[in-house]
Amino acid sequence: MVEPIRELVTITVDGREITAPEGQMLHDAAKSGDVEIPVFCYEPKLGEPVGACRMCLVEIEGIPKLQTSCSTPIRDGMVVHTKTDQVKEAQNAVVEFLLVNHPLDCPVCDKGGECPLQDISMGWGPGKSRFTDVKRHFQKPIELSPLIALDRERCILCYRCVRFSQEVAEDEQLQLLERGDRTFVGTFDDRPYDDPYHGNVIELCPVGALTTYTYRFRARPWDIEDAGSVCTLCSSQCNVKFSIRDEEVLRVLARDNEDVDDGWLCDKGRFGFQSFGSEDRITQPMLRGGDGELSPISWDDALSRVTKALKSSGEKTAVLAGGGTSNEEGWLLGRVLREGLAGNAIDSGAHPADAGAVRGLSNPALTARMRDIDHAGAVLVLGADPRNEMPICDLRIRKGVRRNGVRLAVATDSPTALDRRAHAVGRYLPGAAAGFISQLAGEIRSEGSSSGPDAEAVAALATELRGAEDVVVVWGEELWSEPRAISALMDLATVLGIEGTETSGLIEIPTEANGRGLREVGCLPGASAGLAEAPAGPGVSEFCEKLRDGSLETILLADSDPVRTHPDGEGWKQALGNAFVIAISSFETPSASLANLVIPAENFSEKEGTITHPEGRLQRVRRNVPPPDGLLPTWNFLAAVATELGVDCGFSDQPGLFTAMTSSNGLYQGITEEDLAGQGVRWQDREGAAGRVPAGGATPQMAAPTSAPGSAGAPDSIRLGTRRDLWAAEVAERSPALEFLVPMQSLEISIPDAERLGLKQGQAVEVSAGDGASVEAKVAIREAMIPGAAFLICGARDGNGNLLTGAVPGSRTIRIEVATPVGQTENT
Amino acid sequence: MPPTKTKTEKTTETRILFRNIDEPGLSKISTYKRLGGYKSLVKAYTEMTPEDLLAELEASDLRGRGGAGFSMGKKASFLPRGDMDKYLCCNADESEPGTFKDRELMQKNPHQLIEGMVIAARAAGANRCFIYIRGEYVLQADTLDRAVAEAYEAGYLGEDVCGTGEQVELVVHRGAGAYICGEETALLDSLEGKRGNPRLKPPFPAVEGLYGGPTLINNVETLSNLPHIVASGAEWFRSFGTEQSPGTKVVSVSGDVAKPGNYEIELGVPVRGIIDDLAGGASGKAKLKCFFPGGSSSPVLTVEEGMDLPYSFEAMADAGSMLGSGSIIVCDEETSVVELALRVARFYHHESCGKCTPCREGTNWTVKMLERLSHGEATPIDLETIVSVQGNITGNCLCVLGDSMAAPVSALVAKYRPEFDQAISMGGVNGHATAGNGHGGDALPDVAWPLGAGSAG
Repeated sequence: MVEPIRELVTITVDGREITAPEGQMLHDAAKSGDVEIPVFCYEPKLGEPVGACRMCLVEIEGIPKLQTSCSTPIRDGMVVHTKTDQVKEAQNAVVEFLLVNHPLDCPVCDKGGECPLQDISMGWGPGKSRFTDVKRHFQKPIELSPLIALDRERCILCYRCVRFSQEVAEDEQLQLLERGDRTFVGTFDDRPYDDPYHGNVIELCPVGALTTYTYRFRARPWDIEDAGSVCTLCSSQCNVKFSIRDEEVLRVLARDNEDVDDGWLCDKGRFGFQSFGSEDRITQPMLRGGDGELSPISWDDALSRVTKALKSSGEKTAVLAGGGTSNEEGWLLGRVLREGLAGNAIDSGAHPADAGAVRGLSNPALTARMRDIDHAGAVLVLGADPRNEMPICDLRIRKGVRRNGVRLAVATDSPTALDRRAHAVGRYLPGAAAGFISQLAGEIRSEGSSSGPDAEAVAALATELRGAEDVVVVWGEELWSEPRAISALMDLATVLGIEGTETSGLIEIPTEANGRGLREVGCLPGASAGLAEAPAGPGVSEFCEKLRDGSLETILLADSDPVRTHPDGEGWKQALGNAFVIAISSFETPSASLANLVIPAENFSEKEGTITHPEGRLQRVRRNVPPPDGLLPTWNFLAAVATELGVDCGFSDQPGLFTAMTSSNGLYQGITEEDLAGQGVRWQDREGAAGRVPAGGATPQMAAPTSAPGSAGAPDSIRLGTRRDLWAAEVAERSPALEFLVPMQSLEISIPDAERLGLKQGQAVEVSAGDGASVEAKVAIREAMIPGAAFLICGARDGNGNLLTGAVPGSRTIRIEVATPVGQTENT
Repeated sequence: MPPTKTKTEKTTETRILFRNIDEPGLSKISTYKRLGGYKSLVKAYTEMTPEDLLAELEASDLRGRGGAGFSMGKKASFLPRGDMDKYLCCNADESEPGTFKDRELMQKNPHQLIEGMVIAARAAGANRCFIYIRGEYVLQADTLDRAVAEAYEAGYLGEDVCGTGEQVELVVHRGAGAYICGEETALLDSLEGKRGNPRLKPPFPAVEGLYGGPTLINNVETLSNLPHIVASGAEWFRSFGTEQSPGTKVVSVSGDVAKPGNYEIELGVPVRGIIDDLAGGASGKAKLKCFFPGGSSSPVLTVEEGMDLPYSFEAMADAGSMLGSGSIIVCDEETSVVELALRVARFYHHESCGKCTPCREGTNWTVKMLERLSHGEATPIDLETIVSVQGNITGNCLCVLGDSMAAPVSALVAKYRPEFDQAISMGGVNGHATAGNGHGGDALPDVAWPLGAGSAG
């Protein structure tokens, strides 16, 4: 189902000839010819036009009545007038009507100065109102959610926000209540609007009806500056625009990039900026003294101590990069370790990726673009919950399903937010992905070949995928924890014929924001910049072991918090406690709190550099505000360390670093900063991309399909899995606006297991596994769960589920003890 | 326009839909069949192809009886052919003030409607039918439910209609009390379980209607005509009425007349005949002043303008009004036109869905100005503004509801301007404020209540 290509036609608007694709809405076609037609309700991002506000009425020759240009597809030879008396009369009428119930409190309204209603009233309105009666009144502002204030008097009922809620986020919480001029926007029973994307309605609102508590009364449009960057809080890498006043970020807005984010932001990206100015932020290099407390040291001191530590451990040094570490920083880290210390222990991400398999998967013909999802025949979500791991991807999949009839198949261990929209859902036990994927590939290859307990689900998934024209597979990094799962995935790609078609492919959701970029610049064992062959080394899960047994002595963590986010958090605690730890970090994270040296990091409003989107798009992160207290740019510090270690860097500024980084990287070679411009560029879209990926290394071996190892262990045992939660993140805890969203630990468990164990919804339990570590959690019984498994949130602040997992997810079974006797809860 | 008929003889009813309307027990299938019912259905399914049926309907020139007066056969022919699910919706959300014809048709003769629908389903190729009935019609909906059950039992509905293997399912769905759901696209949204708001057209329901499928939507009275057209033929049908308005029409007459009620007349009879001969003329001593020829949304015609016109779609349109749903609301000289305008405006203000700006704000603003006018708090400028606001609503809305207020209010101001001027200069209607509390201004005459409690079938 390829995006339809439309013929170009010519229309005349106000005497001006405009050529545009046939069927495009007249408003958009006119805009492309520089004729502005005012609109309020129309927003193509929200789907089909509704023609409600009536602001865009125009005259079309041959049609007696005025027509809404937002909903009129153009035809060849159409002649349109937007400035005739009849049109002007209608425009004046609509503006006057809109202002009948609008309070005109512009002087105290946050939207003043950037308000479409103001602009359109001035540009297309009659200039005065004849309305002399009483306007409608509401209690105001109303707390629509803890983040958004709603002023119903200002609302002009364009219902963009309602359409967002119903047709984009699909949470269906915002509704129009009452009718006629008594209509107002609200939620059922006045419940708070609870949705991870709900901040978008603020930007959609064409008046000051929806404002955010984080920006209300903080600034005026004329004393802020807009500055673009890319959000590095997750791998969605949404394009953002900061509103900056007095060198401080006051607000984050979406900077439309249809290829990346479709113009949406999640609330983490929108409100997480509050952590930039957190009091807890580390802004100076810190040294842990004998008393165990951190105290500030000078940058020179920090440099010499880091250099000394690295020199003394030499090749017994490990480097683990993560988070928003830029390509440049990652590349410098690789050079420091490989050239400066002759080490090989470098990795990124939370799960051990194999260099050979990464090379195989980097084949441009196998990689999908984000926009391929829009018109795919089918999308398979494999081992990931996009809502919690790459939120904007979730919205894009919903869009494809809702508007373009994309068939959706979901195969994961734990329930996902997309289940409700999926045409087929399959569940496997934690750690049993490989067997499941092999079965699926087999079933697609020959119908009816799968057997066993999963056969029915596998057959349903296969039905959606078999024969689908273009398939996009969105898969989670966690699959790397099962080496055979990756070869099964490659096999699946072959069965689906992905390599053969331009608009199908795979997209990996990495756990770290710049997961793809870091691998491609050399933060991967056995692969240096450009995935070139390099001496083999241990991977991330082996670091943990080797640090504990002393075969690795020092570890440099770059924006990485393995104690919190990586499997076997308990093991990492011991490992870091046993090693000399240098952490580049903004906060005293669980890992940084075990560090001997902490180097302060920049955030994405302060950093200059590039990162790579999961679809292979290089994007530029820009410095828009200066970092606090003379904080040294991380690349600068790393370059200094490299120089101290005798590595010849050959550049002296950031542009020079970018050029050096790209020219040493076979994938990125030749990309200039101009190429990146505002929208970024996919390296696969450049000439000769197919030849850029180095061959060699291990070709992933095809796994022989095996039956799912689902029945391992005792029949009644419950395997532990982890799931990611959008809000179980440092940034949420450090942003006052988001803190209320930080989740309590909960144990998701299936209905049969809960019944068998006598567990009740909401009950407090103590979960333990392996060597006796335990966490407290509340029971959450879910229908869509697979029996035989239970899931804890990974990376939760309190009772982190990772503390219980072994290095291999799904390898452990858990014991559940009721913390509060059932009798007591029942009696209360 | 000169009168086309002079009153030479008394106007009488021409009963086709109402032929056996007062037969006791007509709502039961046994009585209906005894009187010849369901023969047309059997004929349509066993002797005619869908193409034959459609051709017959188009030839009959039956025009929609719900308000717009669009050719029923033509509308049915717009549905694409093909193997997808197609829908037929009967619009029984009869909510236009002054209109109560469908109520009697459904209550007393539900099987005539069901038979008509099953025939229409065959003509349009629809297999899923709905009757969207206004929620307040509890008795009528109960009656329909019973009748539908009987029709299923008798094999006229279900998986195998009349043993032909054709499937037609019919569901009676009750609305929740919104006038706007009588607008066909709002009806579809409401039927789908959404907020009942009109949709943007195009796409028209015939192409993309209920659940995105091709949908034919017709009024109760329109569909009730079908069994008769199938039984006696298009030519027979066209022998009634005028060239452009063939057939009969059930007219709801209400207001200041002696005998309000439903009368089935041949289209084209003089209005005077309907009001004087059938409805008994003025109910009180005062002379008649004006009338709404097609429900409260039609511009009023003064007695001088309208009484001698033939009652047909074309004659009403030529006179600057419309036949609409065929509801004549009659007002005598004692009616305050200012109060009348306010009453009409209040209705549409109350029923505006709020989706589009001109209707939402225009109805609200108009009511506020008319209220002041009626209280004696208005200035001459307000009257200018009222006129201008009606002009700003007209033609600029998403659906016709806004125009439905603007048209009658504009007509009242244009035709009775001195009364409005007097309300301004004299400090309210009749020189004193009357409509302050929102209840007192109820000057629209009570609509007729022709069905006795005991007449339920």
